[in-house]
Amino acid sequence: MEQALTVDQRWDLVDKITKETVEVGAYEPTLRDAIAGVTVRPLTGIPFAIAVLYGFWTFFGEFAGLFTDGFFVRIFGTHWIPWLAERLAGLPDWAFVILVGDRAVFAEEFLGDSCFAAGGVLTTGLFMPFGIVLWAVLALFLVLAILEDTGYLPRLAVLLDTVMHKIGLHGFAIVPTLISLGCNVPGVTACRPLETRKQRFMMIALLGVFVPCGAQIGMMEELVPGLIGWVFLTLAVGYLGFGWVLNKILPGESPEILMDVPPYQAPQWSNILRKTWMRTQHFLLVAVPFVLLGCAIVMALYTTGAMDAIAGGLEGFLATVFGVPASATPSLVVGFLRKDLAIGLLPIETMTNYQVFKSVILLTIYFPCLATFAMLLRELNWKEILGTLGFLVAMIFVFGGILNLIGMAGGW
Amino acid sequence: MNKVLLMGQANVGKSVLFNHLAGAGATVSNYPGTTVDFDKGHMMLQGKKVDVIDVPGTFSLQPKDRAEEVAVKMLEKEKGATVVCVIDSSKVERGLYLALELIEKGHSVIIDLNMADVAENANIKVDTERLEDILGVPVVTTVAIRGEGLKELVSRMGEAMPAGIESITKRVGGKGGTSTHS
Repeated sequence: MEQALTVDQRWDLVDKITKETVEVGAYEPTLRDAIAGVTVRPLTGIPFAIAVLYGFWTFFGEFAGLFTDGFFVRIFGTHWIPWLAERLAGLPDWAFVILVGDRAVFAEEFLGDSCFAAGGVLTTGLFMPFGIVLWAVLALFLVLAILEDTGYLPRLAVLLDTVMHKIGLHGFAIVPTLISLGCNVPGVTACRPLETRKQRFMMIALLGVFVPCGAQIGMMEELVPGLIGWVFLTLAVGYLGFGWVLNKILPGESPEILMDVPPYQAPQWSNILRKTWMRTQHFLLVAVPFVLLGCAIVMALYTTGAMDAIAGGLEGFLATVFGVPASATPSLVVGFLRKDLAIGLLPIETMTNYQVFKSVILLTIYFPCLATFAMLLRELNWKEILGTLGFLVAMIFVFGGILNLIGMAGGW
Repeated sequence: MNKVLLMGQANVGKSVLFNHLAGAGATVSNYPGTTVDFDKGHMMLQGKKVDVIDVPGTFSLQPKDRAEEVAVKMLEKEKGATVVCVIDSSKVERGLYLALELIEKGHSVIIDLNMADVAENANIKVDTERLEDILGVPVVTTVAIRGEGLKELVSRMGEAMPAGIESITKRVGGKGGTSTHS
């Protein structure tokens, strides 16, 4: 066994080898360098970042809207759901309710939107993932893949580093955060390059609690487009504010993160498409079964009357603490499974705008979906898991309570 | 040889290389730390099927975060594997540190100077023949993102072998044994 070198000796050797083999010629700045400069200098970089994010957001809205409103609402609403209701009309009541939905929706005098109102596994259960959420996540995954592959994400991190430092976070936090906007599962994985346990725990807790996923955003965009701005603003305040609090109260170090900024590259379309497809596939395999299961559970609870019992039990609590009506109970019940489904089940017509806003915030903060929870189990130890859940419960009460008080003060 | 490990720092194109060698499966992004778990695939080498593993990026063999821990554990488990040390051609000195560590540990190493296009744009020239002479292990040049040089890399994988760090110290500078550090 040869004697190992010390770190200094090894660097010394590296030095000597490179001196002999590497020749660095005169450097000529390229267009790529010019772009790189413009995008990280705050004066030009911040407007550039806003323009990029706004552009992508617009694309997301247009793309998802095109498929959902332009196509699937009609397919489901005027063809598939009425056809199915007619074909299965002969089923026993309980089976009809679970598979197709509430019979009242199919009565002549019903004027609402059967896509959401029906509620059955084969109607609303299929409409939500395939009619709405699939297109939203597809658009988001595509946009994120482009941001990732060009090399813009780490530059955004550099740009935001100074601002984020003021609240004790790092610019790097933007990478898992943006990825989480597609899906929290890869977002949690993206926290691994963080160096200390404290940093990872903080980041994962903040993601799990304050960052809505693509599926949820898709549902919000469809159901409450006017409120999305307020929802994001509130969540951002919570994310930054409680990031600061966690950083203050948690023991441990939060050292500077040295991040390598790679050169800009033209994205490889084959890679972007494959990545988008892999993530979409994950959505189809993991999310869709839970949405269907969630629909079945809700409808089963309805037909057996159990839902009314649960709602009755929760009514006083929901009304006093959060100022949310008991009719939001089904959403809370399936929030454990899928948050997109939970938002889809909110009784929007019967609630005030402010109640809808509060409910959407609460559902976002509420328990992470099952797939994300499985990720937490993998990435955190049991103490940190309990810590995350404790944080989550605290946030529900803090946000629910404060928003309720604001609502009362404002008379909304 | 039954296993090939792709090792190197973050963002030097290991996953792109992996996708070329072992087909689909790994996701690639242009920011460091995309491969946080390892990806595994197969390739044909001299008529035999061998495992290819895309190891998370690591700066050195002293792990600093969880992804690097995975990398170092992986390496310890696969003692007999051929290690492809992937280096960004425009930042050779950074990658050489890891290469030397790998050589010191007695692994069979082949050096892949990847991203040769970036180095060329930056007007950096690497004398691969001299580097190969000094290190005593094969050195090849690739532009993985465009698929260039992969054939040479694969055909020379069989030549990967352990090298002695002392003989490297002697060969560098062409004078032999002048280092005051040894």
